[in-house]
Amino acid sequence: MVQSVEQPSQIQASLFVTCIVDQLYPRVGVSAVRVLRRLGVAVDFPADQTCCGQPLYNSGFTRQARRLAERTLRSFEESQYVVVPSGSCAAMLRVFYRELFAGYPEWEVAVERLADRVYEFSEFLVKVVGVTDVGATYPATATYHSGCHLLRELEVREEPVQLLKQVSELELSPLPQADTCCGFGGTFSVKYPHISEGMLEDKIGNVRATGAGTLVSCDMSCLMHIGGGLSRQGNPVAVRHIAEILDDQALDGSISDG
Amino acid sequence: MAEIKTGEFMSASREAMQNPTLRQALRQVGGGFSEARLDAINEVGADVWEEWREEARRIKTHTLDHLDYYLEMLYDNVTRSGGQVHFAGDANQANEIVAEIARSRQVKLATKSKSMVSEELDLNRALAANGVEVFETDLGEYIIQLAEETPSHLVAPALHKTKEQVSELFHQKLGVPRTDDIEEMARVARATLRQKFLQADLGISGANFLVAETGALVIITNEGNGRLCTSAPRIHIGITGMEKVIPSMQDLAVFLRLLPRSATGQRLTSYVSMVTGPRRSEDEDGPEEFHLVLVDNGRSRLLADPDLREALYCIRCGACLNICPVYRKIGGHAYGWVYPGPIGAVVSPMLVGLKQAKDLPQASSLCGACREVCPIKINIPRMLLHLRHKLAESPDEAEKSASGAEGLAARGYTWLMSNPAALAAAGKLGRVAQKPFAGKGKIEKLPLPLVSQWSAARDLPALPGRTFREIWSQELRTELLSQPRISEPLTEMQPPNLPNASEVEDGAPGDPAAKD
Amino acid sequence: MVNPAQSPRGMSKDEFLAGVRRSLGHTEPTQPERPYPRLMETLAELETRAAVVQQRIESGRDSLVDQFLETAQLRGWNVWRAPNPEDAIGYITALVADQGVTQVTRSSQEVFASLPLDAALEGLGIPSVTGARDEHHTREQLREWIIGSGMGITGADYAVAETGSVVVLPRRGLSRLVSLAPPVHVALVRPQDVIESLDDLFLFRCMEYHRNGEDMGSYLNFITGPSRTADIEMQLVVGVHGPKEVHLVMLG
Repeated sequence: MVQSVEQPSQIQASLFVTCIVDQLYPRVGVSAVRVLRRLGVAVDFPADQTCCGQPLYNSGFTRQARRLAERTLRSFEESQYVVVPSGSCAAMLRVFYRELFAGYPEWEVAVERLADRVYEFSEFLVKVVGVTDVGATYPATATYHSGCHLLRELEVREEPVQLLKQVSELELSPLPQADTCCGFGGTFSVKYPHISEGMLEDKIGNVRATGAGTLVSCDMSCLMHIGGGLSRQGNPVAVRHIAEILDDQALDGSISDG
Repeated sequence: MAEIKTGEFMSASREAMQNPTLRQALRQVGGGFSEARLDAINEVGADVWEEWREEARRIKTHTLDHLDYYLEMLYDNVTRSGGQVHFAGDANQANEIVAEIARSRQVKLATKSKSMVSEELDLNRALAANGVEVFETDLGEYIIQLAEETPSHLVAPALHKTKEQVSELFHQKLGVPRTDDIEEMARVARATLRQKFLQADLGISGANFLVAETGALVIITNEGNGRLCTSAPRIHIGITGMEKVIPSMQDLAVFLRLLPRSATGQRLTSYVSMVTGPRRSEDEDGPEEFHLVLVDNGRSRLLADPDLREALYCIRCGACLNICPVYRKIGGHAYGWVYPGPIGAVVSPMLVGLKQAKDLPQASSLCGACREVCPIKINIPRMLLHLRHKLAESPDEAEKSASGAEGLAARGYTWLMSNPAALAAAGKLGRVAQKPFAGKGKIEKLPLPLVSQWSAARDLPALPGRTFREIWSQELRTELLSQPRISEPLTEMQPPNLPNASEVEDGAPGDPAAKD
Repeated sequence: MVNPAQSPRGMSKDEFLAGVRRSLGHTEPTQPERPYPRLMETLAELETRAAVVQQRIESGRDSLVDQFLETAQLRGWNVWRAPNPEDAIGYITALVADQGVTQVTRSSQEVFASLPLDAALEGLGIPSVTGARDEHHTREQLREWIIGSGMGITGADYAVAETGSVVVLPRRGLSRLVSLAPPVHVALVRPQDVIESLDDLFLFRCMEYHRNGEDMGSYLNFITGPSRTADIEMQLVVGVHGPKEVHLVMLG
């Protein structure tokens, strides 16, 4: 499973924090940085990064998307690794940039180079850092939701579960119909809210069926959606990014976002 | 051509979601077909399944890339075996060809086995206008014909109907007593249709595959109606899309393995019939005439676009419908035309006109489940994105439908995300502006367009006090400085020079210089 | 007769194919740059390959027959293994009695030559006809008889172990209706009819196609269990248009 041959001390990773974590869930970025550093990874944060362009790409505005993609390629051109706390944004960088720049040979090298270096956070821990036990403790009963892009574009299925299984005091309860989309889909949830809500209702039903008190995912976009529905229903299930589960300090809140 | 209601997607999908019987039926299709499919795949193993998919895709790719060549071969071999081939550019021509055959041979009664192409053409109506009574013989099709509805699923056309509805329908239309026994309903259909099979002058079928090498038409059914339609009446007309051709008889093996497993989880359907020409003199039964009608009706538009050509690889198994979380919520009718679900969202817009069906490619969360189950590995999400791209940016006004506001929003977003300083300023503004709406870290209602629809059923997170980039520069960055870093840069990781020119000029939203 | 090349209703072949070519981005008829391997095989090559497959089948005949019967049962056939013709006749006559069948149609296939079935049915007072036209039976009369039969009995040209299917080809004395219209179908299969896979089947048929001057015959039909539907509430019902009950008697 572990493909890395490098010593942890040699690994240097640039964090692509994603807009949603930057603007709405900075605590997730903080936890990701702390977990990586605790494992000896040198983390930097290219300050001019913004959005990967996925919302535009998914809406068909490929020319605009390409412009943001070009920015992103530049921001990370010197990075050894690019770590993304989102399966969906990582898929954009690794998989969809290839589509986006098909027919633009001058960008091919940069796109391929980025594709080779970009990893979703949990995937990076297991495949590059080579750990499944990060030494974390998290007293909770949890269930894991996989984002669709993480599952089907990056084919990261087992890594998050491997990591979660090693967390002390964390009891994992499998999510029924785990492979079914939660109904977010970016602009889909805004353009077709009735369908999205129907899908969300099923997902919430499955989350509740597990009896878990915490819902974990590698994607804050899914969690914003599912969590938003749970919260509206007054359901106390907490939503957490996997980085927060793996980061012991997340519980004591040593860095506040307020 | 069948009536096009793709423009009513929004209202139709809303209504569908409030229809309790439909929801019940859709739960069954999602569970039943998908589970049976998985069992059938597990039986052969994932590796073998993958080999089959690869082989089938290779065959389809090759055939569609040389479609003219294989259609010519098919024509030669159907003709040689005594059949006649007709070519229809559009639905009107197809209907006229069939009607003319019926007229000139005094056909009064026809039986038909399930054919999505005939639904696409609205062939029954065209024949009725020519005095030909057509009986659908697939049980599901028969039910929806009696109910004067259209199919809601590629494989199970009457899936949206409950047995109570079918019982009532049979009672009303056929005068039989009401029953809750499904076997009894099937018996009624058998008895009624058996007479029609024997009286019919004309049998109409679709085709699952056409074999260029031999001129054979292959149909796959479970009920046996297809075989009765193609062997009992004195004339058989096979009518199908031009993309159904495959090169050789030996190519059939892999498709016979893939199609039933993907459709219903069956290892093979009860009946597979390969028909080549009319009956020969020594045969005991079979039609005196065999006609094959090959239909384009917009398929060449899919063929002509390299990004959409693979939509023509579809073998209509319905697996993408059964797995699709959107289809499983709204069912088939909401899509507004003959082909529903993920593959329909690609095919229908190109057959009826993209602008008329602009909701279809958008109404997907792009979860990719359809691509994962497709036996031909058709990349449906990629094609949906391609159609969205046409809708947003096509230079062809016939395809582009994005409103000025959407284009403006896209440019505005791009501008904002290209200017981190502006982004930071916007974030600060948002943190102030949200105050009247945010409570306990969440927002329940926000009076903004689009966002208000989201917040109808979901809370929004309130913007936190600081963004990640603020926290980074204020606290995390300094932690970084205290950490050992690798002293030597990795030489093999030297970045190449990135191109400078961006094809899109910079420009503020609304800036007339930022033309797209 | 409508001449499609001049049909005013549709398009001419040339016009239609020109449109397809335009969509593919070329104007002249073109051939695939690499010939399609399955279309390039000569009869001699097919025969060589078929001989190897035949050899493989012969050497594993016994287990292949077992495999076929096992799969057939899973696909919904009632399987009966008859060690001798008398046993097969016993099975069929018991079935006739059991089902209250009053009229039978059988095909006139080779398999019946060693099976004195007609005499046995006659002994029971059950009228039966062979499915062949003769001076007494026109096609239409034959059809009426088959429709009125409670049981149709046929042989098999191939029995495919992979799928549990019986495959029949057109011939004098075999209407498609015999296996389709009556509520009960009995297929008589001999061990030598059994082949391993769909690939074997299409290889053999491809070879025969070339041997027969590139004639397929008017049909090739698979029968794999009873007629079934799940079109109402996804509940399985057997016997919707075809037989409700199918029996497979392995002779030997």
